[in-house]
Amino acid sequence: MSPAVLTEAAVVERSIPMAGAVELVLHHPTAAAAARAGQFFQLAVGAPGAILRRPYSVAWARPEIGQIGFIFNIVGTGSAWLASRQRGHAVDLLGPLGQGFVIEPGNRPAVCIAGGLGVAAFPAVVTALMAAGRPVVFLHGARTASQLLPVSRLQGAELRVATDDGTAGLHGSVLDLLASVAVSDVDVFACGPTPMLRRLIEVAQRLELPRSRVQVALETPMGCGVGTCLGCVTPRRGGGYLLTCQDGPCIRADRIDWDGMVDAFHG
Amino acid sequence: MADLGVDLGRGFRLRSPVLVASGTFGYGFDAPLVDRGALGAIVTKGTTLRPRDGNRPTRIAETASGMLNAIGLQNPGVEHVATAFAPLWKNWAVPVIVNVAGESIEDYVAVIDRLEGTPGVAAFELNISCPNVARGLQFGVDARLAGELTAAARSATRLPLMVKLTPNVTDIVAIARAVEDAGADCVSAINTYVGMAIDVRRRRAVLDRESGGLSGPAIKPLALQAVWQVTGALRIPVIGIGGITTVADALEFLMAGAVAVQLGTVNYSRPQAAREIDDGLRAHLEAQGLRDLGSLRLRQPIVASHA
Repeated sequence: MSPAVLTEAAVVERSIPMAGAVELVLHHPTAAAAARAGQFFQLAVGAPGAILRRPYSVAWARPEIGQIGFIFNIVGTGSAWLASRQRGHAVDLLGPLGQGFVIEPGNRPAVCIAGGLGVAAFPAVVTALMAAGRPVVFLHGARTASQLLPVSRLQGAELRVATDDGTAGLHGSVLDLLASVAVSDVDVFACGPTPMLRRLIEVAQRLELPRSRVQVALETPMGCGVGTCLGCVTPRRGGGYLLTCQDGPCIRADRIDWDGMVDAFHG
Repeated sequence: MADLGVDLGRGFRLRSPVLVASGTFGYGFDAPLVDRGALGAIVTKGTTLRPRDGNRPTRIAETASGMLNAIGLQNPGVEHVATAFAPLWKNWAVPVIVNVAGESIEDYVAVIDRLEGTPGVAAFELNISCPNVARGLQFGVDARLAGELTAAARSATRLPLMVKLTPNVTDIVAIARAVEDAGADCVSAINTYVGMAIDVRRRRAVLDRESGGLSGPAIKPLALQAVWQVTGALRIPVIGIGGITTVADALEFLMAGAVAVQLGTVNYSRPQAAREIDDGLRAHLEAQGLRDLGSLRLRQPIVASHA
């Protein structure tokens, strides 16, 4: 694992990549060089009353220009504070932390499944998969067309889209798109709300896609992000718990006790 | 240069009055980017006789200026601590204080017995106040039981013995006196306050266990007042805990009569807080022309402290 840094980084750009989301681009060459697809950073927030850092996946990193991007929704005071950062402001970050996706080189197809803001981690994942020579099918689901990440951000992948309201692509769930994909010999990389991941596991079972071929990026409430508070646990298959921050956030699905997964509160 | 050294009793001297609190620093291995040598001591995660998986998620929740936790004493058990961790601590410059938890006096004594004489273990902190296990609080809320447990632990160890008090009582001074009388070398005060948060959208408690322990700046004035009460009544040193985030916070606890402080929740957001507060205390003493931390007290101790 790359060594984490605790540092301030300057905001070089703030934009709205899709409806309801904010993208912050930070300049920090060390962080950009260290970050792997699926890893996260703990970002400090200055909102009154907010005392914990906020964990965000690396959306993308470009070491050659020293930049790293984060895409997030505004769900509470902490993310609202971060979203109010402007070019030139400093953001205090700790990371990269945790395990990214395991991406092996080869020509076995990769199927990416992103539900809602789960897509935030995927520009980096697609880049890493392309670099590993993997053909990528990208299944992207959102509530409505305006909440889809622009195609240009997932370049190189064969994109298929589903929306809950039918305003783009298939009218339905991102998991409905799986029916159109041959899954006999693929690796799946998924990120989205816990209920979506749980349904993915059911669908995978029906399609006889082994859980060992599915990696999921988990989202749980997090305290420290480094393994000391033991707050971010995920039930482990066979008993006990995995630490989302250390064993994850990207974890092979067969390591998880899916019956014990809870849909956590994100305030 | 100002002397920041403290004496916690039984000759247990720390180079800094800034410790990291149990449950916020693991067993000292996981915190990145922390200069352990700058710490007064590390207090470990609560350690029990047998390994414990801890509570089901959701275990933590942020609240206004605070954090609720109900971890449930997840820990690898004393055997693992003795064989896998202590041999590494032995080579550290920073003393490691093992926080001991249990459900019966026999449990606590068995943990201490296993670690007594183990190189690397500098002292014990008795967790008589964990709000997140079925029977964890009973020792801490009953002066007679708190005294009995402390006496049993005292008989089991020659190492310095710290007892961590719960604030979830009517009369914290009665409990504090009982553990002092039973042979504690010092007390740490306070543990978390029992609290709760409800997810209004889902209409259910945020934490799986419904209630948990509240920590962070939200509890600091409450903790400070509890420490003030305890330092006004005890002869043994008191280590202040509760929402300490800044140098000024630490100064308040020292002025209230604590000889040292433990940092808890702040470690999560600012991994280098202990170093910053240690530096800040030294700078404060020098700026004020004070020789030592004891000079900060608003009132004199009941008897001269060990320092």
